[in-house]
Amino acid sequence: MTTLPEVPGVPVGAPPLAVDADEAPVRGLWRQGVSVFCENRLALVGLGLFILLAGVCFLGPLVYHTDQVHTDLAAVHLGPGEQGHPLGTDGVGYDQLGRLMLGGQTSIVVGLAAGILATFLGTLWGAVAGFAGGWVDSAMMRVVDAMMSIPSLFLFMLLAAIVTPSVPMLILIIGAFAWLGPARLVRGEALSLRSREYIQAMRAMGGTGGRAVRRHIVPNAIGTVIVNATFQVADAILYVAYLSFLGLGVPPPAANWGGMLSDGLADTYSGHWWLLYPPGIAIILIVLAFNFMGDGLRDAFEVRLRRR
Amino acid sequence: MRSRFHRRALRGTVAVASVLAIGAGLAACSGDSGSKGSQGGSQGKDTVTVAFRTPNWILPISAPGFTQGENATFTTALYRHLYEYQLDGSAKYNINAERSMAEAPVVSNGGKTLTITLKDNKWSDGKPVTTKDIQFWWNLVTANKDKWASYRAGGFPDNIADWKITDEKTFSLTTTKAYNTAWFVGNQLNRIVPLPQHIWDKDSATASVGDLASTPAGAKKVFDFLTTASKDPKSYATNELWKVTSGPWKLDKYVPNGEVVLAAQPTYSGSDKPKLAKIVLRPFTSDDAEFNVLRAGEIDYGYIPPANLSQQSYLESKDYKVAPWYGWSITYLQLNFNNPKTGVLFKQPYLRQAMQMLVDQPTINKVIWSGMAAPSCGPVPLKPGTTDANGCAYSFDPAKAKTLLEGHGWKVTPDGKTVCQAPGTAENQCGEGIAAGTPLAFTVTSQSGFDATTKMFSEIKSQMAKLGIELTIKEVPDSVAVTPACKPTEATCSWDMSFFGSQGSWYYPVFASGERLFSTGAPVNLGSYSNPEADRLIEATQFSADESALKAYNDFLAKDLPVLWMPNPVYQISAYKSGLQGVEPQDPMNYFYFQDWSWKN
Repeated sequence: MTTLPEVPGVPVGAPPLAVDADEAPVRGLWRQGVSVFCENRLALVGLGLFILLAGVCFLGPLVYHTDQVHTDLAAVHLGPGEQGHPLGTDGVGYDQLGRLMLGGQTSIVVGLAAGILATFLGTLWGAVAGFAGGWVDSAMMRVVDAMMSIPSLFLFMLLAAIVTPSVPMLILIIGAFAWLGPARLVRGEALSLRSREYIQAMRAMGGTGGRAVRRHIVPNAIGTVIVNATFQVADAILYVAYLSFLGLGVPPPAANWGGMLSDGLADTYSGHWWLLYPPGIAIILIVLAFNFMGDGLRDAFEVRLRRR
Repeated sequence: MRSRFHRRALRGTVAVASVLAIGAGLAACSGDSGSKGSQGGSQGKDTVTVAFRTPNWILPISAPGFTQGENATFTTALYRHLYEYQLDGSAKYNINAERSMAEAPVVSNGGKTLTITLKDNKWSDGKPVTTKDIQFWWNLVTANKDKWASYRAGGFPDNIADWKITDEKTFSLTTTKAYNTAWFVGNQLNRIVPLPQHIWDKDSATASVGDLASTPAGAKKVFDFLTTASKDPKSYATNELWKVTSGPWKLDKYVPNGEVVLAAQPTYSGSDKPKLAKIVLRPFTSDDAEFNVLRAGEIDYGYIPPANLSQQSYLESKDYKVAPWYGWSITYLQLNFNNPKTGVLFKQPYLRQAMQMLVDQPTINKVIWSGMAAPSCGPVPLKPGTTDANGCAYSFDPAKAKTLLEGHGWKVTPDGKTVCQAPGTAENQCGEGIAAGTPLAFTVTSQSGFDATTKMFSEIKSQMAKLGIELTIKEVPDSVAVTPACKPTEATCSWDMSFFGSQGSWYYPVFASGERLFSTGAPVNLGSYSNPEADRLIEATQFSADESALKAYNDFLAKDLPVLWMPNPVYQISAYKSGLQGVEPQDPMNYFYFQDWSWKN
């Protein structure tokens, strides 16, 4: 049996006050990230909200069956609880709870897909521009600046008026213009990353620009990208709501929360509150959920906030 | 980075929350707890304030670009037409004897000659209205027909072979061929407006009045002088030209793009004398602006924009009476018979009948339009105010529609895709040009911005889906909802069905004949419908002396379905103070007759 060396002021058996950092137990980056994310209560609430809303929208129809294809003009504007409709019916007799689920599917699918599409396009554009620098960077970013100078909502409305709105079309339209923000962010990251030693070393060893972007720039900017993606999703959900509010959403019998909110507002004076509040509250909750998650992810990817 | 996106997202959230909060506020306002306004009564008022767009044309000869409804009402208030009409079926040729300035025409010469005698009427300066004033109008329009908005090649005055003034009170006109007198009186003589020759027959403000318009060259000069003056709205209230009128009102005040005040004409010679002293016509920049003022009770007569129909009960609680204004109109879903793909389908009468049987007009009118629509059963409008569809050739009957399709070789798959399984031209087959496996799938181009229209097509789509007919609804702005007539080879001919009737598809003149709508090659026959029998019947409505021609034409097209007949929304949902009398019945031709209005004592 070995005897521990005695240190003044430290009881025998207690851990040392300080140890060499090189010998400290290092936890995995992802585990640290998850740990920091979980410390953010609001982020957890956001995650929970998202899971809850997505679960209700996508799994709800499996247990709560409603006819969202055929109208029923004999059962319009029924109040909550009437004739077996927990949230009542709308102006053409659709069950409002079922419609909320159907509308949520559209809003979430379009929001997620458009957000991811915008993030992907923006990341690629920004990384290439930032890494290439020079005239390539200037040209690519002027394209971004030019497109940003046009109000996006105006562009969405213009396009939505030209083409027949559908879920894939809405994803494309929103994704095609929402990538500008991520492009600028990632370009900024790429500008700072491209002068790092490991990239210089890779280039000195004959590595190509494509490899640098693919293997080093994008992976090292992933924190920014993921955090931004959550806000892109939230923005996309709101854009769908805006377009639907302006009558340019998916045509019936498809539904989305923005369109339901718009219809509900027209019915407000009739006292049909159940057509207004549920979709409005759902939009608020889903957007808040993504914002809270974005905050948590920002903390998780922010190295300075991690334990060492 | 975070803050920027966070802000944007939060802004959106706040926006949605604001909508909810506003909604909550509005919902709170929607109760009936609002304090009751005054219970009508005049309270000594002799003025009525009306929501009304500012007219910008005063000369009672319509000009291209100035044919808006407000101009028609404005000029009629100042200058009476030779004939005014009523559509309740009680008068010969629909002539409103009280308001008209002449007796009903006497027909002779096999229907070709109409002799018209003027009643005793006076201009506001005391001079009598004579045939000289009619001749003056005739001289101006014949010499300037290219500048007259009501001119149609071959129509008035081209179809007049002889125009003759007999004396100060009598004139006659002989047409190039015998017309249906009811058609001619309703759709041609409605354009004649006696003009004050003794004031207007000159070519400058300083010239003295003569007989300048009696020659075509002189008539052109006079017309140019008058139209130039009419294009100067700021001088309307001061220009001496417009001081002498024949109508029940005179212009008291005119603010360009602003308020217009009409005052009762004390020397008005007609029997329908104004009961009010003044009518204030107040314009608004938008429907919302008008409705806000209406809600505040600051105007006596206004309208409820369709999007705000749900507030009817609120307005009623504020002492307004809400009255649907039925127009002399029809509403329909246009079918493109020339579409290279779906045209062959629309050409099958049984298919049109089946689709018509899937439009539940009475229920749509009642539930979706909240009673603010009337059925359309054929090309001739139903009597204004009719709300039941009992007289329609095809009532709502999905079972019969299914039988009809199956009986013609279609495999009906409810909520699936109904396809042709028996191609061919025999009675029990799909019809000429329809291949096996052809689906019944159509795109409807409809107007955006009308909640009731969106709901209506949700219902129709739902009913069609039950028989496997797939409708795709494409909502577009008003400006592109009116799809053009086309040839099958043209790129613009890809549309299947179009709807632009959220406020009525077509407003008729007095005699609701279809020469402009449904005859082969007609200018507004957008779907390129063509049927020789329909052409024959339409021609009969214009040229036959048979009084039943209009009915025969209506009955045939009601059954043949050149379009799908749809619920016909009202021209306007009027709201007026309950103390205001004489507003109803509202004229289906969309004119205001302010002289009938008065305050309850």
